[in-house]
Amino acid sequence: MIPLLPTFRLSRPATLPEAFDLLADDGIAYVGGTELVAAMQLGLVSPAHLVDLKRIPALGGIRLEGEVLVIGSAVRHVEVADSELVRRSAPILARACAELGNARVRATGTVGGNLCFADPRSDVATALFALGARVRLRSADGERVLPIDEFVLGAMDVDLDEGELLDSVLVPVTVAPQVYLRHQPTEYPTIAVALVSDPEGLRVTVGAVGEIPQRFAAPSLDELDVEAILPELEVIEDLNGSESYKRHLVGVFVRRAAAELKESNDA
Amino acid sequence: MPEETYDETVVSTTVNGRRIKKRVENRLTLAEFLREKEGLRGTKVSCESQVCGACTVLVDDRPVSSCTVLAVEADEAEVTTIEGLETEAGLDPVQAAFADCTALQCGYCTPGFIMSTKALLATNPSPTREEIEHELEGNLCRCTGYLPIIEAVEQAAARLAGTYDPDAAHRPYAGHLKEDGEPFRYVGRSIERVDAGVKVTGRARYAIDTPFPDTTHAVAVRSDRAHATILGIDVKVALDVPGVVAVVTAEDLDGLYPRFGHMVPDHAIIAAGKVRYYGEPVALVVAETRHIARDAARLVEVRYEDLPAAMDAEAALAPAAPVIHEDAYSGEAVNQVAITRTEDEPNVANTMHLGWGDVDAAFAEADLVVETETFHPALYAYAMEPYNSSARFADGYLEVTSTAQHPFMVIKDLARVFDLPHSKVRVSVPYIGGGYGSKSYTKIEPLTAVAAWVTQRAVKLDLSIEESIYTTRADAARTRVRSAFRKDGRLLARDVDIVMDTGAYVDNSATVLSKAVARCFGPYSIPSLRVRGRLVYTNTVPASSYRALGAFQVNLAAETNMDQAAEQLGIDAADLRRINLVPRGERFIEGKRPMDTDLVDDFDQMMARVRVEPREGVLQAVGFGVGANEGGAYPTSTAQVKMSPDGSALVLSGSTEMGQGSRSILTQIAAEELGLDIAKVRVFQSDSAGTSFERTTGGSRTTTMTGLSVQRACRDIVQQLLAMAATVWECPVDDVRHVGDRIVHADGRSEEFGPLIKKWYGGGGGEITGRGTVRREGELQVQPSFWEIGMVAVAVDIDPETGVTKVDQLVTMADVGFAINPMGVEGQDVGAALQGIGGGLSEELVYEGAQLRNPNLVEYRVPHIGDAPRRWDSVIVERRDGTGPYGAKGGGEGARIPMGGAIASAVARATGVWPTELPLTPERVWRLIQEGEAARAEAAGGSAPEAD
Repeated sequence: MIPLLPTFRLSRPATLPEAFDLLADDGIAYVGGTELVAAMQLGLVSPAHLVDLKRIPALGGIRLEGEVLVIGSAVRHVEVADSELVRRSAPILARACAELGNARVRATGTVGGNLCFADPRSDVATALFALGARVRLRSADGERVLPIDEFVLGAMDVDLDEGELLDSVLVPVTVAPQVYLRHQPTEYPTIAVALVSDPEGLRVTVGAVGEIPQRFAAPSLDELDVEAILPELEVIEDLNGSESYKRHLVGVFVRRAAAELKESNDA
Repeated sequence: MPEETYDETVVSTTVNGRRIKKRVENRLTLAEFLREKEGLRGTKVSCESQVCGACTVLVDDRPVSSCTVLAVEADEAEVTTIEGLETEAGLDPVQAAFADCTALQCGYCTPGFIMSTKALLATNPSPTREEIEHELEGNLCRCTGYLPIIEAVEQAAARLAGTYDPDAAHRPYAGHLKEDGEPFRYVGRSIERVDAGVKVTGRARYAIDTPFPDTTHAVAVRSDRAHATILGIDVKVALDVPGVVAVVTAEDLDGLYPRFGHMVPDHAIIAAGKVRYYGEPVALVVAETRHIARDAARLVEVRYEDLPAAMDAEAALAPAAPVIHEDAYSGEAVNQVAITRTEDEPNVANTMHLGWGDVDAAFAEADLVVETETFHPALYAYAMEPYNSSARFADGYLEVTSTAQHPFMVIKDLARVFDLPHSKVRVSVPYIGGGYGSKSYTKIEPLTAVAAWVTQRAVKLDLSIEESIYTTRADAARTRVRSAFRKDGRLLARDVDIVMDTGAYVDNSATVLSKAVARCFGPYSIPSLRVRGRLVYTNTVPASSYRALGAFQVNLAAETNMDQAAEQLGIDAADLRRINLVPRGERFIEGKRPMDTDLVDDFDQMMARVRVEPREGVLQAVGFGVGANEGGAYPTSTAQVKMSPDGSALVLSGSTEMGQGSRSILTQIAAEELGLDIAKVRVFQSDSAGTSFERTTGGSRTTTMTGLSVQRACRDIVQQLLAMAATVWECPVDDVRHVGDRIVHADGRSEEFGPLIKKWYGGGGGEITGRGTVRREGELQVQPSFWEIGMVAVAVDIDPETGVTKVDQLVTMADVGFAINPMGVEGQDVGAALQGIGGGLSEELVYEGAQLRNPNLVEYRVPHIGDAPRRWDSVIVERRDGTGPYGAKGGGEGARIPMGGAIASAVARATGVWPTELPLTPERVWRLIQEGEAARAEAAGGSAPEAD
């Protein structure tokens, strides 16, 4: 009931090899702390050793590598939101990062921390699912790249091996028309909807209502059948709404997002 | 610098321009570091979950939640706190704007808001209202209703841009004249709050900022059962933790009176024998630091045997319900409300009746009978400063610092616990970070004091917000109203039944119930009335006062009942109010003060302003409601004014400043009465060893009751000065007069107060003391001292697809007799209204099994800045017809009374279905919309129409 922190060790490596050594020493990754420190204050986790990854230059920065936007895991939300590069090549990610949490969370929390914590209501995850992003994981043994939906597996559950850390997220650069809509009458979004319309069709991603973002496809915007999506949804009930209400809301916000997308297409 | 250890890190930082290098514990948050290690206590901590923003500081110009960010994050960074903004040139423009716009009341959120505004304006120098709302969404204010804050942010932007016009007055002087035909100098004017300066700079000190020297820290071990017998408590492991001073349990209270409660002394200081709710203190760990106490508290083992629990009033009233209090505590109460307990309803703590006339006959002859039943849920007042208190014993005296609204009431409880004379218990209260009634009467002071008694050390007990929620809430109530009408709309009779859930202990709920019983039918002229109210114990958080206590819970049923009746009578709902509102001079409750204002005129002024601003695609409607509180509480107040030989005045008052602005009001009154420049007046409040007795600070009483005692004390000073002048000048007292800041002789001689005092005493002068006393006599013989009128109107917008409801327009109506500080009146009104909007739309404590599902600010949704109404019209009515100074009446609670009902009626008009419970969350409203559409479709005998 009293959010005081227990004692812990803190390491602040400057390079990845140092970080791997420290993580191997009972360490867990710590970046912005908006999720981790809060969880520690609530007594949900009590790690003995935090390894601060913010001082590792390799985990920072937003850059283009060919047709891929690479965002370091230690990049803060506000940096994503303000990045011209992201706004141009992955607008809904910039939008998600500009709206999530509050000004302090955006100024402190990081893309990597957010993804690894895997809160079901994560805006970052919803946008990255919608954009078909991948994640690059590194460990002392090397690296692996996973599609986002093979990394985020469930509520508070990601495919991260011991000694492994999230290096960066890889977002395919796209000019596809896209829309991100959130519905948030309380502290966390009740619903987030992302639509991306590319030549292969329309991708509908629904975040915050299930354990992980859920994706649906339609041949095109005009052929979107919202009623067909709704029964397929996994919905978690909470104080923000019952299962049936949330299912209804998804329909409302997918329709609204579709209308917005249509408007921007027509403009 | 010693080497780093595993638990500590060397931090080199710059705080407000000052270089600091020191070893810091890794587990220390930045807020703990700033407040406790660097003494920068301007940064405040409240929600501890990154929601409220009170702890906002800038790290390298980025806003962060210092309560969740580690102190080591300051390493190699520049930290700016509220203390770092003021320069030699004066206040920062943001600070100046917050002071000028009265964008603060209790001030607890103010440092965080100012730091967030600094961050906002640094990146966006001229934000729109939407941008302000977006960037400040993570800062909560519970007092101001946010609108003055938005104004302050806009003014700060203008100041920084050089476009601010300092001559633009906020609210012009209403033109009141004194008896001599001259305008008032200080009262009736919107002055800057006298505490604005300390509150915008972080210098204001709250109880949480003022530990006794060398204090220990306490953390409570709390019950994790709703209702259970305590089989044993094992404290040994906890006691062995280095740094632990004591683990206090009920066994340690031998020789003390182990309970408290000003109405029914039913409240165990520490649970003895059994626990009655989840969260009840079972033991208190006292240690050298709060961290040690918290760590050791987890090692205390309590063994329980569960008992059946009654989690709501219905369960507690059931025939085989578990008995929550075996003892009736009879003969020990010091209450004003007669407590009745009966054998056949053992969980009913009290039953009250009110009525007159032949109710059954009236219903028999009525043209229309309308019945309404509503449920008002339990609420959390969320005063941003959590309950906290410090205690120590010194030379047989008990000294306590706390967040208590009523320090003199707390003394009574503490004196009984320790069998001490009142004179040996000192309770002092610095600034309070919000109260709204939730800090009235005794809360955690006995717990802190018994720990100080056991340990013979100073003890500080700071609760978290979660613990505060598990300390006091507002009563839930189920209310059934039946009303009998004549077809012309005349009320013939009302029959009301109220069941109120007080939780595990009575606290002030017997008063809450008595208020509910008196506030559930009016202010209407009702020939026949029958009200029954029952107060029921349950195994939940103890309930007590919250702004407009008792009234808002039952007004929901009473006023939606009027609206439903209007519909059925075919009479406009506003006209139905006009037909029944009690006229000036009529006594609508036997034995009480006749109505002291013109309700229909007030109502008309309000209704003239409310209007829907049409928008496509939304459901829109207007709602309004009326209520009246007995204002002023019991009329006992005392004040002293001391005048020094330099002619300055020190006002001593036992009232508390919790944000409502009493310090400013009392300063204005004293300056006006004495003719002194306001800068020469200081008001010192709420220290029982230094200020005079004040009964309570609640019931909207300070402006009137304390205002009167201060006014009388000032007039006593003037009489003394006149007599002194007559002595010094050796003339009859009739030859001298008080003019401005001087005493003047008929022959033209005059003297300022200071020199006169010096001459009278000689030898460098002395001090004179004026006394003012208010008791139940004369104009105040008939109670209440005034009627506090509650009237609001709202225009709401509803998204028909989501049910999200927004108050688009708010009209407040303050019938305050004489507005001593009009900006203060408006601030109180919009603040009370926004709390009402929270109760109407989002706030509700929800139990799931033994414990609350939402004991935090993440899931208990209080209004954020984006929930403030888009439009606000403020009506202040000043007829100078109150019993307070200059004809003033109290304010601050009125707007809270009818808000829930007004919103419910607006939603009903928009959806076609009457809500029966609050809050009207998006899902509830959406379901009403569905229900309404289905009903209309059935009535039309066809398929559901398209939603428009």
